[in-house]
Amino acid sequence: MTQYATDYTVGELMCVTLAKEIEDRDVIVLGSFTPLAYASYILAKITHAPNSTLLAYAAVGFRPFQLSFIRAETAATRGSSLMWTMLEDLNSVHLKGRGDVEAISSIQADGEGNINLSVVGDYNSPKLRGPGGAGAPEVIKMHRKMLGYFPNHSKMTFVPKVDVITGTRYVIGAEERIKSGYRPGPIRYITGLCVMAKEETHKPFKIESLHPGVTAEQVVENTGFKLEVPSKIPETEKPTIEQVRLIREEVDPYGTLEFDFKPGKERLGYLNNILQKELQAIGYD
Amino acid sequence: MTTESKVGKLSDITQIIKSGDQVAIGGSWLGSHPMAIIRQIIREGIKDLTAVTVVGSIDIDMLIGAGCLKKLMFSFVSMEAFGLAPNFRRAIEKEGLPYDEITGLAVIIGLEAGGRNVPYLPYRGPFGSDLVKYRPEFYKEVQCPFTGETLIAAAAITPDVAIIHGTRADKTGNIQIEGTSGSDIEMMRAAKKRIASVEEIVTEEEIRRNPSKTKVPGFQVDMVIEAPLGAHPCSCAPDYVFDPWHIMKYMQMASNPETFKQYLDEYVKKPEFEYLEAIGGMRQAAILKRLGREVKFL
Repeated sequence: MTQYATDYTVGELMCVTLAKEIEDRDVIVLGSFTPLAYASYILAKITHAPNSTLLAYAAVGFRPFQLSFIRAETAATRGSSLMWTMLEDLNSVHLKGRGDVEAISSIQADGEGNINLSVVGDYNSPKLRGPGGAGAPEVIKMHRKMLGYFPNHSKMTFVPKVDVITGTRYVIGAEERIKSGYRPGPIRYITGLCVMAKEETHKPFKIESLHPGVTAEQVVENTGFKLEVPSKIPETEKPTIEQVRLIREEVDPYGTLEFDFKPGKERLGYLNNILQKELQAIGYD
Repeated sequence: MTTESKVGKLSDITQIIKSGDQVAIGGSWLGSHPMAIIRQIIREGIKDLTAVTVVGSIDIDMLIGAGCLKKLMFSFVSMEAFGLAPNFRRAIEKEGLPYDEITGLAVIIGLEAGGRNVPYLPYRGPFGSDLVKYRPEFYKEVQCPFTGETLIAAAAITPDVAIIHGTRADKTGNIQIEGTSGSDIEMMRAAKKRIASVEEIVTEEEIRRNPSKTKVPGFQVDMVIEAPLGAHPCSCAPDYVFDPWHIMKYMQMASNPETFKQYLDEYVKKPEFEYLEAIGGMRQAAILKRLGREVKFL
């Protein structure tokens, strides 16, 4: 009998939900250091997906490690089975569609599977210049699944039409994907409120599950594009007591995954606190 | 017979990097950017550069803030969890810094095309992305001459200079990189002139002890510079981690142009050997190296 936790954060719920998207033997690519995604992959690797391959920085097939705000790159490097270059990475994984998962997030996303990491406002005189997409415009097309995580589910993020299409899934339906040389797979977004997915070009995102305590109306109100709202929507499976223990004691004892959920003003203080704990753990005060 | 030495000092970079050059900058995210060379570019007052980066961070932000760039080609510039890059944002939002935003794979494939001496390479590229539409000088749809399939051609990138940071090298320029090599190797192949800084210069015998660690052959390197902690405040995996305390200070001081000038005065516009003292000396270096060694595997 599965024992579900009653004490968990939205971050932990999202982490566990994202981890469930990982299948055993998946090839998982990690881009920028995004604590929530890293925690999910490592949780999957030490539980149900021991044969998955983790790739980050230049490190291939690295051993799962305890998350740290500062040490992800050195940990992945020290635990790797192979070190390669970005070109070898894309020749081996991306271009032939051998990647399964590389969760992304973005400043804006719309109902067509477009993401915007470029600018808010006009491209040539932007209100906000974002970081750019790095490999995201390509990986969301090439990998088997397009997975997105969005801690803050709001109309600021989920807009009717993105200001700039930095990248797009482009071919969405299974048949079209196969014809274009890619493996079929859904677009699935895990948000602070729900899980929603799009599997056909001409069908909207459908709410697949609602997080405990969240209503469908709440999701619709906070989404700027049309959604399919089934009459019966299951509740997102809660984390188990064991999953919460693993996250807090093994995978992420410093609480790095909560970083994305802190309001901008609290982030610096939270970060300082983590850094202090990391220093203490290696014997510095 | 003795082999020639390509070992130079930081101040020798002016022999290779000239104002107006297109410079590809190695490293990725907060890792292995050639920061000692970046600081020297600022010290020497080299200007009007076009920087090329795949995934840049403080390297690009600092060059922009110091007024060294006339243009930027990038797929990503961010201080990651520390926030958006402040000088990069300010220069684009308020001062209209011209830039070419290119998708990540197109930059890497473009550099590879440059290294192969062909004008472009095709791939199943980012169809549907506005970036393809906005920058037709970097992307073209092409028909496969064999199958008729439509592909995207990524234009070759051939920088005047590439600068990277590696783990160690010998005096003939064989570069070993033990950590994140990013697109460093593609940049070195594509560029006309190449400079690498390394943590240490060792004998040719020592390089030959582990030849599989050598990622760039000496004949593709014009100058090699010994710069211990030369990636700081970025990491040089697996030897040391990035310096989060210094990066937080940078973020604070780069938040407006006045305090950023102070940052440059305090950390950059002094000889590189004083930099280590300014950032906390041997004690800080020891902490960053210790953190680089400490991993708990699960």
